[in-house]
Amino acid sequence: MTTLLLSLPVALPLLAALLAVAASRQAAGLAMATGFLVLGLSVWLAFEVAAAGPITIALGGWEAPLGIVLRADGLGAGFLVVSAMVMAVVLVAAQPSFEDQGQESRAGFAFWPLALLLFAGLNTAFLSRDLFNLFVALELLTLSAIALVAIEGKAGSVTAALRYMVFALLGSVLFLLGAALAYAAHATLDIGLLAQVELGWPMAAALALMTMGLAIKTALFPFHAWLPPAHAGAPAPASAMLSALVPKASFVILLRLWFDLAPELASPLLLAVLGGLGAVAVIHGSLLAIGQDRLKLIIAYSTVAQLGYLFLVFPLAGGAGGAQPWSAGAWTAASFHAFAHMLAKAAMFLAAGLFLRAVGHDRLEGLRGLARAMPIACFAFGLSAISLMGLPLSGGFTAKYLLLTSAFASGQWGWGLVLVAGGLLAAIYLFRPLNLMFSKEGAAASLTPVPRWEQVLPLLLALAAVLLGLFSAGPFAFLQIGRPGAAAEGLLP
Amino acid sequence: MNLVIGPLLPFVALAWPLLLGLGAAWPAWRERALWVLPAAPLPALLLAIAWPEGSTTAPALLLGTVLVLNAPGRLLLGMVAVIWLAAGIFALGYFRAPRKPAVFAGFWCLTLSGNLGVMLAADVATFYVAFAAVSFAAYWLVVHDGSARALMAGRVYLVLALLGEALLLVGLLLGVAAADSLSIAAVAASLSEAPLALTCLILGFGLKAGMVPLHMWLPLAHPAAPTPASAALSGAIVKAGIIGLIRFLPEDAGLWTTGLILLGLVGAYGGVVAGLLQRNAKAVLAYSTVSQMGLVLAVLGAGLTTEAALYAAHHGFAKAALFLGVGVLAATGRRALPWVLALAALPALSIAGAPLLGGALVKAAIKPGFAGWLEWAVALSATGTALLLARALWLAVRGRADAADARPAPLLWAPWAGLILVALALPWFLLASFSTLTPGYVLGLASLWDATWPLLLAALLAAPFLRLRPRVPALPEGDLVVPLGAAASAAMHTLRRLPEPTGPHLALPGATRGKAVLAALEAALLPWRRGGLLAAALVLALAWSLAG
Amino acid sequence: MTAVLPVLILATSLVPALLIFWLPERAWRARAWLNLGGAAVKILLVVFLMVEVANGVTHEARLDLAPGLYLLLRVDALTLLFVSLSAFLWLMTTIYAIAYLGDGPNLSRFFGFFSLCVAATTGLALAGTLITFFIFFELLTLTTWPLVVHKEDAKSVKAGRLYLAYSLPGSAALLVAIIWLESATGPVIFAEPGDLRVLSDASLMAIFALFALGVGVKAALFPLHGWLPEAMAAPAPVSALLHAVAVVKAGAFGIVRLIYDVFGIALTAELGVGLPLALLAAFTILWGSLRALQQTEVKKRLAFSTVSQVSYIILGAALAGPYAVIGGLVHLVHQGLMKITLFFCAGLYDERAGITRIDQLDGIGRRMPMTSICFTIGAMGMIGIPPVAGFVSKFYLGLGGLQAGEPWVVGVLAASALLNAGYFLPMLYRIWFGVAPADAPQADERSLGMLVPAVATAAASLAAGLFAGAAISPLAWASLIAAGYLP
Repeated sequence: MTTLLLSLPVALPLLAALLAVAASRQAAGLAMATGFLVLGLSVWLAFEVAAAGPITIALGGWEAPLGIVLRADGLGAGFLVVSAMVMAVVLVAAQPSFEDQGQESRAGFAFWPLALLLFAGLNTAFLSRDLFNLFVALELLTLSAIALVAIEGKAGSVTAALRYMVFALLGSVLFLLGAALAYAAHATLDIGLLAQVELGWPMAAALALMTMGLAIKTALFPFHAWLPPAHAGAPAPASAMLSALVPKASFVILLRLWFDLAPELASPLLLAVLGGLGAVAVIHGSLLAIGQDRLKLIIAYSTVAQLGYLFLVFPLAGGAGGAQPWSAGAWTAASFHAFAHMLAKAAMFLAAGLFLRAVGHDRLEGLRGLARAMPIACFAFGLSAISLMGLPLSGGFTAKYLLLTSAFASGQWGWGLVLVAGGLLAAIYLFRPLNLMFSKEGAAASLTPVPRWEQVLPLLLALAAVLLGLFSAGPFAFLQIGRPGAAAEGLLP
Repeated sequence: MNLVIGPLLPFVALAWPLLLGLGAAWPAWRERALWVLPAAPLPALLLAIAWPEGSTTAPALLLGTVLVLNAPGRLLLGMVAVIWLAAGIFALGYFRAPRKPAVFAGFWCLTLSGNLGVMLAADVATFYVAFAAVSFAAYWLVVHDGSARALMAGRVYLVLALLGEALLLVGLLLGVAAADSLSIAAVAASLSEAPLALTCLILGFGLKAGMVPLHMWLPLAHPAAPTPASAALSGAIVKAGIIGLIRFLPEDAGLWTTGLILLGLVGAYGGVVAGLLQRNAKAVLAYSTVSQMGLVLAVLGAGLTTEAALYAAHHGFAKAALFLGVGVLAATGRRALPWVLALAALPALSIAGAPLLGGALVKAAIKPGFAGWLEWAVALSATGTALLLARALWLAVRGRADAADARPAPLLWAPWAGLILVALALPWFLLASFSTLTPGYVLGLASLWDATWPLLLAALLAAPFLRLRPRVPALPEGDLVVPLGAAASAAMHTLRRLPEPTGPHLALPGATRGKAVLAALEAALLPWRRGGLLAAALVLALAWSLAG
Repeated sequence: MTAVLPVLILATSLVPALLIFWLPERAWRARAWLNLGGAAVKILLVVFLMVEVANGVTHEARLDLAPGLYLLLRVDALTLLFVSLSAFLWLMTTIYAIAYLGDGPNLSRFFGFFSLCVAATTGLALAGTLITFFIFFELLTLTTWPLVVHKEDAKSVKAGRLYLAYSLPGSAALLVAIIWLESATGPVIFAEPGDLRVLSDASLMAIFALFALGVGVKAALFPLHGWLPEAMAAPAPVSALLHAVAVVKAGAFGIVRLIYDVFGIALTAELGVGLPLALLAAFTILWGSLRALQQTEVKKRLAFSTVSQVSYIILGAALAGPYAVIGGLVHLVHQGLMKITLFFCAGLYDERAGITRIDQLDGIGRRMPMTSICFTIGAMGMIGIPPVAGFVSKFYLGLGGLQAGEPWVVGVLAASALLNAGYFLPMLYRIWFGVAPADAPQADERSLGMLVPAVATAAASLAAGLFAGAAISPLAWASLIAAGYLP
């Protein structure tokens, strides 16, 4: 039973992708059904994990290092559930955009299989414990993501997709080199096995390579420049997947590499580089977001900034003083932040897509007066903005609170100030669109109507982001299942 | 918890006017609202005449209200009630077609209630509330006729009343803090150690009582009000300041002993000089009040508290009678003039201390407080008073009715005559209990002479004026108010026109330049070769640090 | 049982809010019933809880967010002082708002956020830990913003921007202060003060300053007050909410919590941070009054008056003597009653006579007598003329200043009273004695829904002063609270 539970989230989307190519007329329905099925399965899996602790299976009975091993711990299952939630809603929301275009268009035909492939890659990345499998998952993910960027075939988005591809390849090469080096030194690629052996300098070099490869794929500053044009150029549902889900896969792998595999190898320079680049990303991305005049670009730059926060976990992990009643605050906070960002960013891109459809363009000026015309979508936008700014009550706040406490408790004030400044800058760039929505002067006279049920979809995701903050005790405890020791103790002794 | 501990009548005496005042606003009664005026002070009168001494408490009211009935308060309470009663009856005859009778009646009652309250209050909060009520509600009485002159007078009145309230608040706060008690007696006892509190209180009360140089509002406001209200203002309301001083002055007032005497005498003479230069009978009477209150302040400075209360009470009756007299004279034609004028002169003579009248008794009562040149100064002030009041009557006669056979209505002359009677007679009954003297003393030859010579002197001084009729320069009502008012309004104007700080704005300096720099940086990071080089460099650095 | 009540009292405004959002625009009646029903139930609960607290029963509810991070709702006397005020004023403002907004646009959004705003205020008052306080403090910021921009015109949107531009950095400072503190001491629970001495004096001072900065924005403490006068662009019920029920009050309440429940009087005195705060508050009192004097618009003048008046509360809290505490706390209630009366009246003038500038007030007293009487009572209270409630607060504050050995406080109070008179009396003069120009627009006060709340709050401000000595007056309640904090 557990074998099926772990393997189906990977297998089902793959299977559905094949079927969607074959039976393209039913592709939309198939994709939606898969989305909900996987969501159901992953929730089930989460309950199993909560009840019985981490679950490990070897496909076909072949144990590592020979076979493929999947493992669901709190972190993996958590990401699986949240990404399935986002995916399910996004697939429903995508239906009107790609259904109407008919079967003849390339977009209408290709979107569903690509989305499903992306889904499969994502789930593999969350569950897999093998460096090679992870590489395959990342490739699957990246390639379908690039295709999704270019799916409408507009000149701008094709350029953006190509640039995305170049950076993605660079990341892949680095990761692959690292994996090869690891295999050459230790004759295994399983994270669990590698964690048990004595690691030497070849592994240090391998980790350096893989870390940079993953950082590039996660669009860490200064390797982020490809992201905003790519995410802003894609159709809104695709943007939602790209921005909310794709970078999280590489980040989860990065977490596993350092906290599960080789915490003892970490050096102060590593922490400084990852944390420092994350901090610069927060500030740089936010400042650029403030300067944008297109809504989707603002949201995309916001992703650059928000991903930067995630990297603060490296210097901050373990930074809890004796006064705190919890441990592993920063490590848990990183996951919380990722969850909140997944939900809120997807909601925001979906809402932006609706605005774009109603107004016909995504220049900020077009947002004038929308609070009156599309109240639900605006409300969803507002709620997700609250989570992105890290204001209470929201998942973003819980994450920020835990990170800040870690920063202060360990005396690393600088990171704390970055967090605070990032929140304020986010307020500036997110309230610009909100302010316009509430300005009735100069509002467009006629809008393409958007049905109510479509507006409710982003609201659902935004509400989930808020509820994550209100009921964060459960997820918090869940994430501790199978938590590596370094998560509580920090990366440096 | 009991709502009221002790007899209820003191509270009834205060609440009754308020109830009547509210009732006057009732639409059906509005037109005949003035009829409540005579009824309003009746319970207070009963209280003052026939109630035993004692105190009453209402813990829930304000900060715990305590009312007390005792000697100086009772006398002034009775005076207030009688004056307001007479003025209320007079008002019925005075207003033919009253303007906004309900509003007038309402504020009349509120002022009255406050005026009674200051005489009864034994705790600081109640006193302050009552004082504020009498101060601010009286504003509506001043501006009742709505003329530009009345509004102007009202404005000055209000500004100074506010200043007085602020001074009082500061003084009371300091006093309460020094005594750590809300009881007036306790505060008074501790004031000799709190000179700042004492100063604030004396200035605050002095302002109400027309102490120089804070008297400016008085000659403006009293003439501007309708005659019955002028009577109440000059007769009763100024006594709120006097009772304040009586209640709060400590045994040892330090420098203020001298200060009060000096300021009082300056007022006593200054009021005469400024009053003689007036052209309006009511303004002259108002200056006479300034002058008389100056004497009372001097008496208080000399430490004769009960005598001061007696003097003030007599002045209240007589001055109210004089104001009403102006109204009566205005309703009298040439034919009835001699009789009316003869009666009107009685309170004037009484205030000037003419022998055998009530005023002579109270003047005799305050005499022991002064010695040396002060004694002479006080005695001589009666000459000034006589001249001043003669001038007032002279001006009032000039304002008599045009019709030769006009006669004042009973509603006008009856309360007036009543007041005159009280003013002349009451001191005979009270002298023994309010001073060390007995009525027999004033019948002595020496004291008869003391009372007579200032009047003779006044007649001597007046004679050349009556013959020669020189042109006297006129002084604007309120004297100092003219320059001070101009200065104050200029200051206020400047304050309002001070440059406003610019409102908050959100534009960031250098935003456009920063935007360009960031965009350039972003463009520089776009080519993959740069990214690749950066990545390679970082990989090398990391590998080196991780391995080492 | 004990956990139910705090949640219930929060729910009385939260549940209507969540329901109202989904009501169609035309459901006037349903909206009114939901709002008024919630407000009425809340008042009943408050009364019940007052009896409970007076009997010493503790009510507490707790929701865990993360291990050690939890929402704690706890009812104490200080809570009830604020909750009872906001509950009563919420009822009044709701009645007023229903009449004021009539059948304008976006009513469900308005009343939804309105109730949400009150829910946030209630939560803030009930907060039993520092982080709970912060969470509701932020919620308050967020739920007020849509109300400020409700009219959706350029002025409102600008006001909204300004509001956030001040508030969000303020709350960032607050968050830093809280986390700095809690990272050393663990969660701060108001009822069980921990030992703050693990931090150095300098750190504690910095935390105090950051905290004061954070809540000072809401309390419109100089120089953080700039947003408040601009926010008068919002509809009158929102101004009432900002100035009397919720926002500004939340800031002042935060200062009270900071001094009495986080730092404690002893530590505040030891660090010497009370006096600078008191001086700043005193300066704000004078500055606000001076600026009010310069205004020509009714609502703007009232707004600057709030800047000045709210600092009385802070002054009282910062002086920290027994009388000063009472004065500050009681002013929390008194200022609310008086200022809401004034804003109700300003709204009536605006709505029924089209008056927004002070020079238009000429002679309005005759045409709108009830409104003008209420306005006069409110203004008298602000000046401190007895027996309107304002004088009670000033009296206690003055005594408190003397008791704390800071006699300059009395001077500040006197100066402020004169300045208040300086800007209120000319308005009253115009209202009652000015002559209306011949072309003055039509004016009447035939709007019972707007008039009744104004009369009720005016009567309440009068009663609060007149019966200050009564056992259930705000003064008595404030004395009860103060007795709990003082050694």
